[in-house]
Amino acid sequence: MRLDIRYRETWLHQTNPTFKLLVMLSVFLLVLFVHNPNVLINLSLGLLLLFFFYTGYPMKHLVLFFLPFFVIFVSTASSMTFFGQGTTTWVRWGLVHITKESFFRGMHLGFRALSFALLGLLFSLTTRPVYLFYSLMQQLKVKPKYAYSFLAGVRLIPVMLEEFQTVQNALKVRGADEGGPVKKMKRYAVPLLSQSIRRAQRIAIAMEAKRFSEAKNRTFYYQIGVSRYDVIFLVTMIGLIGLSYYMASVFPYFPLTDVR
Amino acid sequence: MQKGLKLTDILTTVVISIVFGIVYKLWGPFYYFVKPFGLHIDQLIYGMWFIAATVAFLIIRKPGVALLAEIAASSGEFIMGSEWGLEVLLYGVVQGLFAEVAFAAFRYKRFDLFVVSLAAIGSTIGSLIMDFYKGYIEALAPWNLALFLLARFVGAVLISGVFASSLVKALEATGVTQLVRSASKEDFDQLNR
Repeated sequence: MRLDIRYRETWLHQTNPTFKLLVMLSVFLLVLFVHNPNVLINLSLGLLLLFFFYTGYPMKHLVLFFLPFFVIFVSTASSMTFFGQGTTTWVRWGLVHITKESFFRGMHLGFRALSFALLGLLFSLTTRPVYLFYSLMQQLKVKPKYAYSFLAGVRLIPVMLEEFQTVQNALKVRGADEGGPVKKMKRYAVPLLSQSIRRAQRIAIAMEAKRFSEAKNRTFYYQIGVSRYDVIFLVTMIGLIGLSYYMASVFPYFPLTDVR
Repeated sequence: MQKGLKLTDILTTVVISIVFGIVYKLWGPFYYFVKPFGLHIDQLIYGMWFIAATVAFLIIRKPGVALLAEIAASSGEFIMGSEWGLEVLLYGVVQGLFAEVAFAAFRYKRFDLFVVSLAAIGSTIGSLIMDFYKGYIEALAPWNLALFLLARFVGAVLISGVFASSLVKALEATGVTQLVRSASKEDFDQLNR
């Protein structure tokens, strides 16, 4: 979600949202089948470059966005490193058993999580949800009743956050903010959910009252098309993947081609 | 009768799911905060990521709602900039699909704790399939893998089964669920008396 952070529009913003999503999903699936850590490290570095230089956000914010990913990297890598199977023992300490195999597999998983996170962030930082859903309706023929429901839902996120604050304050004022975690969760969830249901009802009725219909030939306020930026994006992604494989075979970091 | 879900159903499902999308997003930091404690304690709370499907289905009680809810919640999480990025979308689809299968197995006629727990287990299986491809979980030491699986299943049933159904019971007490559910047989019986 982009809050009120100023950013510069780059070519990544100009690509067609649906096309961008499909390309990124393909890269995601490809990464699932990459078992060579050298390739994955190269690819992550490439995505990192895109993230830092082509999302158009100030460096300060980008570093801030990036921090949680580092934690994900460490936490994903650690459990496989400590508890994975392997034959070449490095450290054995109680239940922890670090082997060469589990270490590399752990690192590989860390980089995999990192590349997934970067793909996601590249997308969400450079795509306006409104354009995404309009594009899904126009290019993928998603039914308007689904797309507009999602749009309404996305629009309600700030309202819900505000409501959460209200509930929190109300509970505090009444001195009702104590109790176990389950009780507490219910105390927040029930008002938030019931208000959401009521709100959704009102929106749906209003939409139908204004003749929201399933007509085949509807017109759109935003016309989202395909442009040369989509070609640039596709070429960049293919180039990145090709280069990752090429560099991995010419200058490998580790003499290892499969972590399984 | 219109075929499929109506605008009202879809909108309600999506809006409820967006609430859970926010929870999903906040659950991420909590999850990796718990993780360093080790021994897969984190897997106990993994079940929260399946809750949108079960709660939405219990509220609206129509075919397709569980899948839609899980997709909507995960895209909400994704749009808010999830730490896991794109993978949440695919996990969402798979988990929703498996929850949907559980509800469909009873022809969308049962709304009790049993079927909800079954849906939670279904979602867990869905997530494990994804983990199998993504996380090489089969390469964990056997005792560790067993602990991992046990924690995830137990957590899922507790959170997305037991907690979800008690949450919907509390919602029913407020009366809002009457807005979205279609009239049941009992309602008609009431009129015929």
